[in-house]
Amino acid sequence: MKDVYILAIESSCDETSMAIVKNGKEVISLVINTQMDIHALYGGVVPELASRMHTEAITLVLEETLKKASMKIEEIDAIAVSYAPGLTGSLIVGIEAAKTLALIYDKPLIAVNHLIGHIYANNIENDMKFPLLALIVSGGHTELVIMEDDYKFKKLGETLDDAIGEAYDKVARVIGLKYPGGPNVERLALEGNHSYNLPRPVMDDSYNFSYSGLKSAIINLTHNAKQKGEEINKADLARSFQDVAIDELVRKVDKAFRETNIKRLVVAGGVSANKYLKEQMDIVCQKYDAELLVPRLLYCTDNAAMIGAAAYPLYLQKSFSDFKLNAYSHADIC
Amino acid sequence: MYTLYIDTHFVNLVLALFKDGKLIEKEVVESNKHSEYTISLLEKLLDNNNLKVDNLNSILVINGPGSFTGVRIGIVVAKIIAFTKNIPVKTLSYLEAMALNFDCPVLVGIRDRNGMFVGNFNANHELVEDYVYMDNKHINNKDIKEDIEIDLMKVYEYMKDKDAINPHLLKPLYVKKIEVMKND
Repeated sequence: MKDVYILAIESSCDETSMAIVKNGKEVISLVINTQMDIHALYGGVVPELASRMHTEAITLVLEETLKKASMKIEEIDAIAVSYAPGLTGSLIVGIEAAKTLALIYDKPLIAVNHLIGHIYANNIENDMKFPLLALIVSGGHTELVIMEDDYKFKKLGETLDDAIGEAYDKVARVIGLKYPGGPNVERLALEGNHSYNLPRPVMDDSYNFSYSGLKSAIINLTHNAKQKGEEINKADLARSFQDVAIDELVRKVDKAFRETNIKRLVVAGGVSANKYLKEQMDIVCQKYDAELLVPRLLYCTDNAAMIGAAAYPLYLQKSFSDFKLNAYSHADIC
Repeated sequence: MYTLYIDTHFVNLVLALFKDGKLIEKEVVESNKHSEYTISLLEKLLDNNNLKVDNLNSILVINGPGSFTGVRIGIVVAKIIAFTKNIPVKTLSYLEAMALNFDCPVLVGIRDRNGMFVGNFNANHELVEDYVYMDNKHINNKDIKEDIEIDLMKVYEYMKDKDAINPHLLKPLYVKKIEVMKND
C-alpha cells in the first residue's frame, strides 16, 4: 500500500504545533511552539493572548515543519487538525490554516478530536492492540473508556466536576507554586510525606471521578492554618494530595481490569507525564498481568504528532470534513 | 493580474476579486460565524472565475480593528496563502479604508458593543495619532464618521504602490489591549 503522509495541526491551548506523520506512526517532523513562559507571567493560560500568539506563529511553525521533513505540501496526502475540545479562539487559528491548506493544495481535510489525539499518542512508538482501556487525564478531562477498535469507544466513567489536571493546578495556586502547577506539585510531592488526612473523592461503586471535594479540603486546610497562624508543610500537602488524587485513578482502573477482563491500558493526556501516576499504573497493570502504554514525555503534552496519528484511521475510512468545520470548546469522544 | 481582497473584521464577511485593476466580483456574507464560511466562499469566488489560488498575483487583507476572532480568520487565511504560494500580501485597516472616502482631515469610527475604534486621519489619509478605543461613555465627539461604505476601487488604487509585507509578520490590528495586560 502507498505510504500516507499527513500534515497535522494542533492549536487547542497554548502550544502551536505542526507535524508530518507517515502512516499514522512515523513522525517525520514535529514542531511545538510553546507559549508557556508568556502565560506563566499571568499565572495561567490567557485565552485571547493564546489566540494572538497562535496567529503570529502559524506560518513560522509551518515553515519549520516542512523544512525539518524536507517535504513540500504537494507531497502530503491530507491535512489534519484538532477541532475540539479546547479554547475556541485558539482552535480556530489552526482550523483556518488547515482549511486554507486543504483548499489551495486540494487535499482532504480531517477533523481530529484533541482527546482522541492524546489516546493515539500511544500508537506512535507502540502498537495499540484492542480491546484496551484508555485513561484520559488532562487539565480539562478525567475519563476512563473502553476502546474495542479504532474509533470505537465506550465510556465507563468520567469526572463529575473538576478534572485531575485542574485540581493539580488549583492546589499549586493555593500553596503558592508557579504555573504550570501540575509538574511543580509533582516535584514538591517527592520531598514530602503523606501526613495530611484528606477526603477520598468518590466512595461509590461507579467509574466516575470527582476532584472538587479534594480541592476544597485543601483550600479549607490552608485557610484554617493561616487563621491559626500555623505553617503548612507544603511538600507534605502536595504529597498527600497526589496520593489521594492518583489513588482514585488506580481504584477505578483496578475495578475496570477486574470487571472487563481487558488486558491493556493506555494513559493519555497531559497528566500522563506524571511519574508517580505511571508507577502506580504499572503496579496495577502487573497485578492483572496487563500491558501498560504511556507516551514518551514529548507525546504526553499537546503536540501535533498525536493529531496526525489519530487522523490516520480516519484517512483510511475516508472520514473527511468539509470547509464548514468549526471549533468547539467541548466534545465528547463517545 | 488578479488581486484577492479579504475582509473578516466584523459582521460582513467580504471577499472580492480584482482583475487588471477592475473589481470583477464581490461576495458578501453577513454572519457571526466567519470561520464556517470564509474558505467555502473563497472556493466559490475562485470557481466562479475559473481560477486557482496559484493564479493570484497579490492579496489585500483588512487587518482590523473589530472582532478579534473575525480579524484573525482573514489574517490567517492571507498568511497561509501568501507564505505557501509566495504571493505578495498587503494590509490596511478598515479605518484607513473608510478615510479614503474623504479628502479632508477626518475622524472615522467602528462601533462595537462597548465602544468605538477611532482613527484620526489627515487629508492625505495619513494617521495623525495612534488608533484608540473609546468606551461608550467617553465618546463625546459628534464628528466621528461611522457606517461608511468603503469604496473597494479606492482601496485598490490606494494600496497599489504600497509595499508587500513578510507573511510571517502579518498580524491583526487589535487596538484594544487584553484585560490582564492593561497594567503592563
